[in-house]
This record gives sequence, C-alpha cells and structure tokens, in this order.
Amino acid sequence: MLTISGVYAGYGGGDVLQGLDLEVPSGAITCIVGPNGAGKSTVLRVVSGLLKPRLGTVELDGVRLDQFGTAGVLGKGVAQVPQSQALFPQMTIRENVLLGGYTLRRDKQLLTKRYDRVAELIPIVAERSNDKAGNLSGGQRRMVEIARCLMVEPSVLLLDEPSLGLDPISLTGVSQLVKDANAGGTTVLLVEQNVRLGLSMATHGVVLEGGRVALEAAAGDLMANPEVAELYLGGAPSKAPAAAGSTAAAAGSAPAARSGDASTKR
Amino acid sequence: MTQLVQALVLGLLIGGVYALMASGLTLIFGVMNIINVAHGALLILVAFITWKTWSVTGIDPILLSIVMTPVMFGLGWALYKGVLSRISGTSPGMSVLLTFGIAITIEGVLNVTAGNRFRSATPSYFSQSYRVFGISLPKAQVYGCLAAVLVLGLLYLVLSRTWTGRAIRATAQNASGAALVGIQSAGVAALAFAIGTATTGVGGSVLSVLYPFFPASHYDWISRLLGIIVLGGMGSLAGALVGALILGLAETLTATYGSLQWSTLIFYAVIMIVLLFRPQGLFGSRLRQDVMA
Repeated sequence: MLTISGVYAGYGGGDVLQGLDLEVPSGAITCIVGPNGAGKSTVLRVVSGLLKPRLGTVELDGVRLDQFGTAGVLGKGVAQVPQSQALFPQMTIRENVLLGGYTLRRDKQLLTKRYDRVAELIPIVAERSNDKAGNLSGGQRRMVEIARCLMVEPSVLLLDEPSLGLDPISLTGVSQLVKDANAGGTTVLLVEQNVRLGLSMATHGVVLEGGRVALEAAAGDLMANPEVAELYLGGAPSKAPAAAGSTAAAAGSAPAARSGDASTKR
Repeated sequence: MTQLVQALVLGLLIGGVYALMASGLTLIFGVMNIINVAHGALLILVAFITWKTWSVTGIDPILLSIVMTPVMFGLGWALYKGVLSRISGTSPGMSVLLTFGIAITIEGVLNVTAGNRFRSATPSYFSQSYRVFGISLPKAQVYGCLAAVLVLGLLYLVLSRTWTGRAIRATAQNASGAALVGIQSAGVAALAFAIGTATTGVGGSVLSVLYPFFPASHYDWISRLLGIIVLGGMGSLAGALVGALILGLAETLTATYGSLQWSTLIFYAVIMIVLLFRPQGLFGSRLRQDVMA
C-alpha cells in the first residue's frame, strides 16, 4: 500500500498540494483526475522523489519514501514515466532501455535477462533497438519509456498523462501495456486529463481538487457519479467500464471501493 | 605538392591539439549547460605551472601532464562543488558571468605571481623535426597531437563504454529523465566538470611548449575554443574534434598560401560561413522530436 499523509508540496510559489491524504491500494490501477492545477502531476513527482514535500510523509508498505531522492525511491521499487519527454534523444532505444536498469548495473547477467524480457514484452524495443530515441513518434516513445521503467520490475509504476498526444492505436497499445504490467502484480498510479480513458483503464479513481482529494471510489462508481459526469465527462454519467481481467479483483481491496459509492471528502 | 601536403599535415597536427583543448569545454557545456569561460584561463594556469616546473627541474613539459591531469581533476571537482554547483539549474548566461570571474581571478593571480611576460617551455626537441617522405613534422607538434589523440580516445571510451559515461551522456541529454532512472545528477555534474577540467592538465602542458603565452592569453584561447565548439555543435565531442581539425587546416593553409595575419581571420570566417548553413553546428543533429514542437 502506497500511503500519502498530510503532504504539502509546491514549487516555490506556494503549495500545490494542500495536506494531501491518499491511499493507493496494492495491485490496483489508481487513476487521479482533476482540473488543471489541481496538483495531479505534483503527486507523482512527490512520490518519485523529484519533488521533496514541505510537510507530510509518503510511505510504501510502511517504508518512508519521502526521505529519499529519485535513486532511493527507485531502489524501493517505484518508477515513474513523466508527462514530458523522458528519453535520452541522442541515444539508441537499446541504450535508453538499458539505462532503465542503471541501478542494477553491477549485475550484468540480471541486466541482460531483464532487457531480453522487456524486449520480448514490448516488440518495438527489439525492432528499433539501434534507432535514436529522438526519432520515435509520440506513441513509440511512450512504449519505450514504459519499457525503460519495467527494467527495474517496479512494484509501483507512476504514469503521468499516458494518453498525451497519442493516436487511438498507440493509445490502445499503451493502455494494454499498463494493464499487462498490472496483471503481473505492479501497482499503477496514473494521472490523466482524459478522464473517461483514465477511469476506464483504472480500478480505482481519485478526484483531486485544490491539492486535496475531493472524491475517491472504484473507477466504475466514479464514472457513474453525476457530479464527476457533469464536471469531467460532458454531462451524462458513464456506464461502469468492464473490469480489466485480474485488475478487477485488485480493485476490490481498495478501501474506498469497498463502500461501493463515491465518498466525498470536501 | 610537397608544400600542400606539409600544410595539410601541420594543419591536422594543430587541429588535434585544438580538439584536445576544446574537448573539456564541450563536455562541460553538454552535461551542465555551463559555458566555462574560465577554460582558457585554466589552460594558461597549467601552462604556467608546467613552464615553471620545467624551468626549475628540467622535467619534460608534455610528460608533466601525467601529474597535471589528476591535479586539474581535483581542482575541477573542488571548483564545481564549491562554486559552480551554486548556479546549478540557472541559465547558461549566469555561468558565463561566474566563470568569467574565475578567469579574471586566475589571470590576476598569475600576473602577481608570475609576471606579465611571454613564456614558453623549450625542451630539447623544441626545434627538432621528424622527416617522413620529405615532409617535416615538428617533434613538439607530433607529441602534442599524440597526447591529444590519447586523451580524446580515452574520453570516447569512457563516454561510450562505461556506465559513468552513459550517466554523463544521459544527464547531458535529459537531466530529469536521468534522475528518474536513478542517476545522481549532482554527482555526475561534478564528475563531468572535473573530467572537463582534467583535460586542461594535458592541454595546458602541450600549450606551454607549442605556443608562447602570458596571463591574458586566455582571452585569445577561450575565443578560439568557443568558436570550435560552436562550429562542431555545442556539447558534441565528435563535433569539437571535426571543428578543430577544420579550423587547424584552414589556419595552416591560409598561413602557407596567404599570410599569417589572415590565418586568424579565416578561423572566424569559417565559423561564420558554416553557421550560415548549419546554425546547429556540424554535429548538432536535428532529430524528429526537434522539429515536432
């Protein structure tokens, strides 16, 4: 369980996160939605160690993460795919993916094994291994970014706007990749502007407003919530999405989801 | 014909030495976006120490680079940790101001301690040459160029074959992306600055033999070196090498077939002409993502 408690964090011009409390259930796909400036990406940056919280704690299964930098957080099994370009454009796809295993660099055998596994899972890694990353399309880049994260076999995968700038086909590929990673036991915390898409991928949903949790529930319940529908889905409540295979069971363990209804925290 | 070959060979030898001197500068810019205007002053500092040691002990000045390289590595590390890390993440313009201050300080210290006079180390082989197929190869130029090849080869191997090198290149290309794979950017930046400064250990030792210098010579050197890395593509090691060779050749050919006075002008004229057609420099590549914005 990833637990964020009483976190205040920002970028120098005041706090974006205003005492955020959030529990991300293990094994689930949790999607954070909310308006621009609500602090969605900031949550991920705080968890990954890119941004130190001013106050509050971040814990993974009882281990404090907020005391570490990015390398330390990665060492605890938390990897992030950021919103903007995260690859090394002048390096080849192979080099990019191998660098995902930078923290494992002393174990050559393990590194090779992981690379082969990732290349098998995500074909573009093998197909374009010698191409420069800067020459990939947006969708291909996203695939390689996720591949790079999978090198450490993360227990928690943080995804910032995975749909940003992707065409429908790429989107399906990325979405499937996320579900596959989750089916393999990885907890996923994602942030998405495309609320319908984000919640349809997720098992658990959180609405963030003003740096705090405004609503949280099972993703399907959240999509059916009239308030969410009005604000983010263009009016009519959506039908609950078909749960994604094994992820449905994981959603059942979500604390807010157990209640069945969206719980308002405002 | 012999004159042309002679000029070409000399141009390549000079270009090799220029590449050695520019390599550290381009590495530091590539990794940290720091335009290290003090790079020329550090070269002159090493040249002075080398000259002084040679004149007192008689130890070969180019061999002294074996000692000066680790010394400059340490100085580079200390400079980064003590001074430059404070402007980490700010604009390159800030680094110009700060490193210009460092350059002025070094120049002032050298003026006070060593005097404002031209110096040059003149070991026994200073005026000797090798004769190969009728071509004269000044020994000092050959040794200087060999040192350059050795350093550039080592730098290439470190950057392309080691995890440290990959971490340096990754940080240069995408600092936050590098942090997300567990690379400690502060440590990498200090290391890159130290390695870049360490190249002045060899470059300055070679300079002390090949070119007369005095404390304010660093202005001339830094303008040449910045010209080389702009021509090659800021941050590109291969670009610095090719840019340096082109400018070395242009200089020598102009001096041979024109006049010595024009050779300095041609140096900058080549840079201007190339930048008119390739604003990103020779090796500043444009990828798909560069034209997508």
